[in-house]
Amino acid sequence: MTDVTGPEGKRRYPLRWHVMDALEGAAGVLWPRRMAPFTGWLLLAPALLLVAVLVLGMVQIAESSLHTLDRSTFLPSEDYTLENYRTVADSATYLKVIWRSLYGSFLTVVFTLILAFPYSYILVRTNSAFTRKALLVALFLPFFIGQVVRAYGWLIILGNAGLVNDALELIGVERQRLLFSFPTVVFGLVQYMLPFAVLLLAPALTAIPREVETAAGSLGANWARVLWHVVLPMARPGLIGATLVVSTLSLTDFAMPAMLGGGSQDFIANAIYDQFFRTADQGLGSALALLLVAIGSLLVGAIFAAFGAGTLAMGGRE
Amino acid sequence: MEETALTVRVHDVSMDFGSGTKAVDSARFDLETGRFLTVLGPSGSGKTTLLHMIAGFLKPTAGEITINGQPVDALPPHRRSIGMVFQKLALFPHMTAAENVAFPLKMRRWNPKGIPARVSDFLDLVKLGDYRDRRIHELSGGQQQRVAIARALVFEPELLLLDEPLAALDRKLREEMQLEFRRIQKELGVTTINVTHDQREALVVSDEIIVMDGGKIQQKATPVALYQQPANDFVAGFVGVSTFLDGSATEGGVEIQGTRCAGTHMTDIAAGTPVRGGIRAEQIRLGRSAQAVADCDTRLTGHVSDMIFEGERLLYVLNCPALPGVDIQVYYHDPDAFDLFEIGSEVHFGWRARDLRIFRAAR
Amino acid sequence: MTNLKGSVSRRTILRAGAMTGGAAMLGTLPATRLFAQEPEKPSEIIVRAWGGEWVEALKKGVSDPFTEMTGIAVRHDLTEDNEIQPKVWAAVAQNRIPPIHINWDTTTNATKSALRGVTEDLSDLSNLAETTDLAKPVGLEGYPIVNTYGYVYVLAYRPEAFPDGPPTSWKDLLDPKFKGRIALYNDGIGFHFPAQVAGGGSLEGIPDDMGPCWDFVEQMKAQEPLLGEDPDFTAWFQNDEIDAACTISTNALAAKRNGVPIEWTVPVEGCKFDTDGLWIPKGLPENELYWAKQYINFAITAQAQQTWLDGLGLPGVVPGLTPPEGLAGDPSYPTEPEDFEHLIRISSAVQVENESEWFSKFKEIMQG
Repeated sequence: MTDVTGPEGKRRYPLRWHVMDALEGAAGVLWPRRMAPFTGWLLLAPALLLVAVLVLGMVQIAESSLHTLDRSTFLPSEDYTLENYRTVADSATYLKVIWRSLYGSFLTVVFTLILAFPYSYILVRTNSAFTRKALLVALFLPFFIGQVVRAYGWLIILGNAGLVNDALELIGVERQRLLFSFPTVVFGLVQYMLPFAVLLLAPALTAIPREVETAAGSLGANWARVLWHVVLPMARPGLIGATLVVSTLSLTDFAMPAMLGGGSQDFIANAIYDQFFRTADQGLGSALALLLVAIGSLLVGAIFAAFGAGTLAMGGRE
Repeated sequence: MEETALTVRVHDVSMDFGSGTKAVDSARFDLETGRFLTVLGPSGSGKTTLLHMIAGFLKPTAGEITINGQPVDALPPHRRSIGMVFQKLALFPHMTAAENVAFPLKMRRWNPKGIPARVSDFLDLVKLGDYRDRRIHELSGGQQQRVAIARALVFEPELLLLDEPLAALDRKLREEMQLEFRRIQKELGVTTINVTHDQREALVVSDEIIVMDGGKIQQKATPVALYQQPANDFVAGFVGVSTFLDGSATEGGVEIQGTRCAGTHMTDIAAGTPVRGGIRAEQIRLGRSAQAVADCDTRLTGHVSDMIFEGERLLYVLNCPALPGVDIQVYYHDPDAFDLFEIGSEVHFGWRARDLRIFRAAR
Repeated sequence: MTNLKGSVSRRTILRAGAMTGGAAMLGTLPATRLFAQEPEKPSEIIVRAWGGEWVEALKKGVSDPFTEMTGIAVRHDLTEDNEIQPKVWAAVAQNRIPPIHINWDTTTNATKSALRGVTEDLSDLSNLAETTDLAKPVGLEGYPIVNTYGYVYVLAYRPEAFPDGPPTSWKDLLDPKFKGRIALYNDGIGFHFPAQVAGGGSLEGIPDDMGPCWDFVEQMKAQEPLLGEDPDFTAWFQNDEIDAACTISTNALAAKRNGVPIEWTVPVEGCKFDTDGLWIPKGLPENELYWAKQYINFAITAQAQQTWLDGLGLPGVVPGLTPPEGLAGDPSYPTEPEDFEHLIRISSAVQVENESEWFSKFKEIMQG
């Protein structure tokens, strides 16, 4: 940059200015200024493309849900029929599995929030940097371990010859079956969901000024009433967000029921898997998959209807 | 003074956070019922810590606080009868104005039937009767202040604490709210402790002022007494004294590098003791000729080194060869002649002996 | 793999050696085709296989010798059999080249693919002449699949849980002390037919009168059995989660070889006998199809079967194999006609048609 010629020859401008000007110029050629009103759409394009692909997939699944499987050729039937949906509606098994998924995800939400709330509260409010770091590490270490590996870990820890039963035997309690039941599945889900819930709750709690809690105390509320009347209502966006994420993730979960359920605690995703991969009945599997999407959407819709989309702290507010 | 008229007694209270110096060091004062006390001090002086100990958010490491004769140190905040207005107001954003005001009544288990009427009374008291159903974020800054006051007072607390609630407001609104505080306090007769770093606010609103510095109470006095009889050079500086002269005491004055200046000893000071004299900018006379300062006890000449236009008055900064190293600040008020003295021009100035207050150089 | 040069030269040497040795091993192949007109060799062929003991045995008995003889590398794709099926079906439907050359599959699942018409006909494999009837799929035209061995869904048990001797009947498992200590396949496969007998029904009742089967499954449900897949059984026996299981003998054998004290038996009601096979999806290039066929042709030679099935502990489809150590006369290793007396064999056609119904009925009871 020493041999600068032309009208700017006398002055030495910072290198960064030259670089930025060159980049601006290049950007101007690629995306002219008059296109500026469409810049937002350009940035949205990848997301829209992704959604479009998803919608296409959904359409395909919807189409295949309208054909039954012909077991003499193992090809889908030619004509359109609602038979697959009738099969689901008439089946006690599927209703049971759907109910189990909903109930399981409800319990998971309740227990996850009960555990995540104090965890996030201490994480946000503690004055000790060490405590905060320790809590974060304890939270995220398992987060980076996949769901399947974690479920496998529980198989080892909770097994008949596992750590927990060893400990029980030491204190004189007989070894017992801790695995392969509905509570175990919910337990596994809660443990899996905890970091998600804390991640969503912590910012909501950070947004509550400490002074507001102090004020509530000076106005006559003991800690329980501060929690009930002030902290919980003010943490509502975080609670709703965590409820949405945890409920939809556990409603659609596959690995925990498959691994910790001992085969008799299927959720909807397991039933879908069975149809696609075990009995090769793509039509029935598709019908179940669409049903799961519908149930999930209804759930999210119901939460929005009850609490409003603004509860996620999205949209403008002064 | 009758025992029953005493609301707050702070008895040798200290707070030690373990950082070397004590945040509050043996504070001691009494406050009578119905009085408005302001604790004035710079940031870090310990004034907020003192207030938080009275409110119950902090437990003193030594000493005792009693309210209406009852020691309160063992009581958590929600068991004390104290209303508090916080620096950032700490209103509940998920409630309306009326719900905010009703909150302490519900928490203190007032008869639910009486609550709506009382909330209305107090919203009227702060001129918010028409805004009862607004959410907090729908109110202006001043209106939010008033909700906070109503909320702190509605449950008839024995004591009202104000933790610099006006610090964030612009000057005009702040002055308006100072008068509002004063009016409401007088109307209800509630004993009040206010904390601020704004000496003007302290002088305007208070019955009594405590000046704190370095965790210690420097002086407790009425606003007028504080202004006229500051106990030391720190208090003097905090209530508006802007020019200080360091030297040694003489009979009826102070000697600074050979120059004798007439002044008033605030305490009994032996000649030769290191002292510090302080004088307000408005108490120094200024003129182009010696006649203008003829009736002063100390008369000197100097040069104008700077001039600051403040609207209603001019602030001149003078340098004087007889007082080397001192910037002498002088207010000059003459509606006809703002630019009377050019920078660099020679001026005569002086003061009366009663206006130069001389303190022992303790610090 | 770090020394490319070294590996290339090693392979060249192996190939040179294999050409002469291979001619002897693939004795029934016309020598002219092998040496003169054989199509171009692909660099590798992909065989879908089950993991664990299963793929180890295949590699040792078939894939490694095949590579040695032909110089074609064999890659094992361990995708679940159930998951590869829709992928292959989709590839054939869309006229794409399928993701694998050879699928190692259960005969029942393979029959579905055959019915769908996605399998290549293997009738021209020269070594089929040497095989027993077991190699021929029942109820299908020609050889869309070649069965390669049979296996028994035995009653595997932990001897210490049966101090009075091995269980003689499936009904022995209804003893309350086995509550939560029994494992079945999660679709009930292998258990339906003995349950039909144990429930008081007859094999003729399959598939039209399965009431006794479901009665017995209901009784078993009260025992709260664990439901899993092949790897689960071995793990559960190892971790002391179960005392008894209805599982393929190979899984029990694997646990035993891993040092778990475990035995197996065929109770009076009988055990399901079934076969696995190999097949080739349609849509492969001509030369790759040729070499995939050669792989299967080799897999049914006595030499390949001996090593492969020693690993699995299962009876093959060529006569005269030597049973693995300790399995001679074992109920899980049937060879003579009388060995088959207590084994239940139902045609693939019936199974394929009714399986998903049995499966959902079993699920309905177990998920209840």
